[in-house]
Amino acid sequence: MGWIHPLEHQLPSLVAIEHAVLDQSPAMTGSRSNRAQSKDWMAGPTGSLRAVLLGLVLERPGYGYDLANRLVQRLGETWQIAPKDVYRLLDELHELGLLDPREERRPRRKLTQTIYYPTASTARALSEWIETLSPKEPMREGIRAKVAAAREQDARQLLLTLTEHERTCLKLARSAPPAIGSQAWGGLVVDCARDAVDAQLRSEIEWARRTRHRIEEHLARQGS
Amino acid sequence: MARAVIAFEAVSKSYRDGERDVLVLGSASFNLEGGAFIGVWGSRRSGKSTLLRLMAGVECPDAGTVRFDGERVASMSAVRRERLLREDIALMTIAGWYPQPKETVVDYVALSLGSSQSSVSQTRREARLALDRVGMTDHADAPTNSLSISERMRTLLARAIARRPRVLLVDEPALIPSLVERGALSALLWEVTREIGSTLVVASEDMTPLHGAEVVMSIGDGELCSTDERGAVLEFPGGVSIVPPGL
Repeated sequence: MGWIHPLEHQLPSLVAIEHAVLDQSPAMTGSRSNRAQSKDWMAGPTGSLRAVLLGLVLERPGYGYDLANRLVQRLGETWQIAPKDVYRLLDELHELGLLDPREERRPRRKLTQTIYYPTASTARALSEWIETLSPKEPMREGIRAKVAAAREQDARQLLLTLTEHERTCLKLARSAPPAIGSQAWGGLVVDCARDAVDAQLRSEIEWARRTRHRIEEHLARQGS
Repeated sequence: MARAVIAFEAVSKSYRDGERDVLVLGSASFNLEGGAFIGVWGSRRSGKSTLLRLMAGVECPDAGTVRFDGERVASMSAVRRERLLREDIALMTIAGWYPQPKETVVDYVALSLGSSQSSVSQTRREARLALDRVGMTDHADAPTNSLSISERMRTLLARAIARRPRVLLVDEPALIPSLVERGALSALLWEVTREIGSTLVVASEDMTPLHGAEVVMSIGDGELCSTDERGAVLEFPGGVSIVPPGL
């Protein structure tokens, strides 16, 4: 499964990629309007990608290739995004009633393109996603996607979400058993593995705090 | 809920860094109950040491109240505060300790036990027992300036537990360069405070010394964030450790 990298122009080939078969998840059953009310679309490893796509479309409607590019630029190089997933996710969001694809002719070209527009449910769905922190989503991916897709009106909710993220990381650090200080190889590898988790948790907390302060400073500037 | 040993009530504290004031705590409130293990995580210069000094009563808050056993620390007489530090609270910090070539480890530990009620031989005996407990038996008669950082931390721990304090405040065990020795000290801290029934507060930029803590809180830019929950020994008013300004 390939990555999309902003410096590697692989994306033109995306147009030729056939749409993947849609997941038959619970979110994909029922009427379109009912599905738009459900939060099931947030679940799973690609829930954050769906949400960021909604945020991007709310910022500016776009066609698949454009949205895939913007998704990669927004989430960064460390987020593994399979090209075919982007089209599959757009289809899913359409089926859920959260995106409205329209065939439009591009300027100075004969071919039409599918442009994805927000629906009446899109903005509300994005707000609900930003307010939702799944306990099974303790690490940065989910919250990083929230920061990437947040609108200015989401800033205060984002502050709370970042604080909760910091608390979750502290709880994870706390739940490790006390160090045993073993000098045996078995103890060493356990300590080294734990050290990796601790390093990640520290990085998470530092990032959450930095992000919170940047948002607080922005809100203070706006208020002054 | 049991009575708080140390209570912070809307405590604020800043320190001067050159031309500017750096906020350490902005209106922090919490209760710290007896027998618990509290971890404080923060990056360098985040205010961990200042928080511990406020807990120990060696620094006064700019605003708010710090209480020990319900008694306002700022209102204590100098004699009472000195007794508090001698008998109830041990602040274990390597900063400010300048080991001397003519001072032995056992004498350094015994010095903290000195009183008109005990003979020199008795205090030395107690000091040796404490040094035995922390694995410093072989260094008891060595000059303090010959010790490694790890050995200094163990000596400080011996000095602290010899007095059987109700609260042991440990500032930055991560100064120990060896990760193995750092882990061993963390385990020792946990064990000895359980033995003597003390409340243990460990502040570190490293996560390892905080493993197993009942409550972990982070400090930085004047804010405390805590894993406060049911059964937690820290109780934040309103049940939320911090609320970002403006919310």
